[in-house]
Amino acid sequence: MILEAINISKYYGEFCALKDVSIGIDEGEFVSVIGPNGAGKTTLINVLTGFLKPDAGQVNFRGKDIAGKGPEELSTMGIARSFQLVHIFPELSLINTIKVAIISRQAKGMRLFASLARDKEVHEQALEVAELFGLADLLEETAKNCPQGIKKLLDVASAFALHPEIILLDEPTSGVSTSDKNKIMQVLVDASKKIGIKTVLQVEHDMDIVFSYSDRIIAMQQGKVLADGSPAEVEKNEEVICTVVGQKECFQTFNRIMSMNREERA
Amino acid sequence: MKKTGIVFLLLILAFLLVWPFIGPEYQVYLTLSFFAYSVALLGFNLLFNYTGLLSFGHALFIGVGGYTAAFLTSRFHIPYMEVSILVTILLSGVVAILIGLICVRYIKIYFAMLTLAFGMLFHSFLMKTYHLTGGDEGMSVEQPYLLGMDFSSMDQMAFFSGPYYYYSLGVLILASIAMWRIVHSPFGLCLTSIRDNPDKAEYLGIGIRKYRLLAFIISGCFTGVGGVLLAPITGHMDPGMVFWTHSGDMVFMTLVGGFSNFFGPMLGTVIFITLRDVISSYIEYWRLIFGALLAAIVILSPGGVIEVLTNLFTLIRRKIMAGENAS
Amino acid sequence: MVETIVNILFSGIFHASVLFLVAAGLQLVFGVQKIFNLACGSFYALGAYLGIVFVKYFLSVGGPPVLAILPLLAAGFVLAIIGPIIERGLLRFVYDRDVHFQLLLTFALLLMIEDIIKLIWGTYPLSTQGVYLAFGILDIFGASIPVYNLIVIVASIVIAGIMAHILSNTRFGRIIRATSDNNEMAQALGININNIYVKVFTLGTVLGTIGGALVIPSTAAMSEMAVDLIVLAFAVVVIGGLGSMKGAFVGALLVGILKSVSFAVYPELEMLLIYIIVIVVLVFKPQGLFGTAT
Repeated sequence: MILEAINISKYYGEFCALKDVSIGIDEGEFVSVIGPNGAGKTTLINVLTGFLKPDAGQVNFRGKDIAGKGPEELSTMGIARSFQLVHIFPELSLINTIKVAIISRQAKGMRLFASLARDKEVHEQALEVAELFGLADLLEETAKNCPQGIKKLLDVASAFALHPEIILLDEPTSGVSTSDKNKIMQVLVDASKKIGIKTVLQVEHDMDIVFSYSDRIIAMQQGKVLADGSPAEVEKNEEVICTVVGQKECFQTFNRIMSMNREERA
Repeated sequence: MKKTGIVFLLLILAFLLVWPFIGPEYQVYLTLSFFAYSVALLGFNLLFNYTGLLSFGHALFIGVGGYTAAFLTSRFHIPYMEVSILVTILLSGVVAILIGLICVRYIKIYFAMLTLAFGMLFHSFLMKTYHLTGGDEGMSVEQPYLLGMDFSSMDQMAFFSGPYYYYSLGVLILASIAMWRIVHSPFGLCLTSIRDNPDKAEYLGIGIRKYRLLAFIISGCFTGVGGVLLAPITGHMDPGMVFWTHSGDMVFMTLVGGFSNFFGPMLGTVIFITLRDVISSYIEYWRLIFGALLAAIVILSPGGVIEVLTNLFTLIRRKIMAGENAS
Repeated sequence: MVETIVNILFSGIFHASVLFLVAAGLQLVFGVQKIFNLACGSFYALGAYLGIVFVKYFLSVGGPPVLAILPLLAAGFVLAIIGPIIERGLLRFVYDRDVHFQLLLTFALLLMIEDIIKLIWGTYPLSTQGVYLAFGILDIFGASIPVYNLIVIVASIVIAGIMAHILSNTRFGRIIRATSDNNEMAQALGININNIYVKVFTLGTVLGTIGGALVIPSTAAMSEMAVDLIVLAFAVVVIGGLGSMKGAFVGALLVGILKSVSFAVYPELEMLLIYIIVIVVLVFKPQGLFGTAT
């Protein structure tokens, strides 16, 4: 098991965002976390990546307790993430944004007088990541001037550039048009294969994407794990589907759509 | 850097090299302050532009440099400029570590206020330790030896427009090259990333406090060296040099010149020194005009005069090119 | 012994009451507009100078010195006019800018006002001369306390009370509190934010100008008084907590009394001590004693 949360709880004042949650991610898995708004998905990611300290419980990475370690330390250990609301460096060019991650990975940040422009190693690796994400034509563009879809990709690309062992993606396709969602997912999956990131955990709302890409699905509701299993298992779980999608009568409709999609792809 | 930029810089450098021969003595003397403040602002702007931290207490480091020069030359009779510079770098570094460890935990207004408080702490320290620093009367700074050479037989003004001029210019060039490399290094890029989005930078494995602290230390050292250069020009150091309004002057120069451009603050020092000199020869109230100028810059053109000039330059060039195409 | 302590205490509270007025203005503006107004010391200085002008005129037309408090208050209120001018003319352009630029704009104001004062009133210290002593001296436990100091202390307490009442019991106060908690929400609820900003900034200005006007009979007006005061007011709000009225009150008391204690015991330490406390507070409790913002 690469990343494991054992009985974690998190409170915001009175409100309980995570209640005694235990999950485990195996190496090589592609796991999706689903659930209605306020189910605690983002809180879970925030706890797993050290952004928030759990009020109780333990988070293990490769068997070592990492609770309370800051994001900086976790990223050097091999855990990376992207954000639901894009986090970019507004004034930096796309290539420089990716370079920041590569400098960090190669521990070159304290090189005070070295020329960045002449560092071929950093440049080539940044270029490689940019190409994987289809950003190669926009290298010198300033991040804040890019369209939302590009910003989203850039956020993810810079996290990928760290070559982490596990990456946690918080709604990588939110705010992107439906037609682009599959494209982005395909880019992500391809990039993680090429870079060698074996383990991916994502929070996602688009059920089509969740069911077609995941090895395992964790469904959450009101801070608790509702179901945890393969897509085939979760798909049959009426309770899960109805809480996630939100309506009772949705179950049949949902199954119909899913099978339609499957036929379409086949 | 773009070709036109390099040509422009070389032209300015060439001008500065011959300036003592063609310029009036007094104006050449004023140029010395330009060199000193430019070095100091290289440090200030590493923090403000590249790290996103506004220090309202940076005159403290001018004080560290200036008082080091004063102590060494007039108290300990060690007149070597290089010794003053090295000791200043060391002391500024130590002071910056002590203050920085506390200050870099905060950003924005809190950082500005904390640095202001430390600056004022140093100011009252200088005022109260009368027996040591001469209190509000300050200390005198003796004419330094440059590269081991004694120029005391020379006339004061000749020293300033000769050896000291070229020495200061040399220090400015070296400091600029060093700072240019720093801001274009991997470290420099990481600083800008922290300025733009500290959370994201942390998730990319950048230890933001470590970087901010190092930037603060480097910044303090540069500003300290600026202080050493400034001290012999007036031949005198007093606590007014560390008062927070002097820090404000540095902020003013940076803003008016253009903080987001590497050379902007240098233009700012030229504007500040020239304007103050010109205005104060007509009326006493140069701060009124400076305040109005600063307000105008903040509201109308936060990129400073250098941005206005570069925009104008591109506009003219585009016009000329359009004209050529038409004909 | 008792007499010295009473003396120190009263002079401390006197300093504190003036400091409180200026700091309250600073807090109010910071709370609502999120602008740290470096020019608040300049408003104080303006209040002092105009106070002198008004008092002198008042005396020259035969006004009794014991009523000099009236022209002083009038001077403070007349200066309210600069509030809307500065807010509408300058500050409103930078609300959506980086905080650094907001700070710098108020710094620009400070530079301008300092010279405007010099331009109008010259660089020599000015004073109201006889007014201070016209109020007489009270004997409290053997200590001689100028009656004027007591009047200022009372005036300041009254103003603090009015402020507290406005903030907690009136519609205007509720709007101010809502805006300082969340100005987008306030705007969404139909509050005219521009209107609030003008009013709050003017109120903040008047608190500063009254502070300056009230203090002036006890001292002389000098062009440096603005810069000296902003440093003290800054200490007050940092110790008390940025944006908190209660903080301004406690902070002002602390700084005022500290100032007079160290002045009496070991004058060398005066400002040094205040800065050290400021730094200690910022390090261990960066939000200040009563602050909520981080």
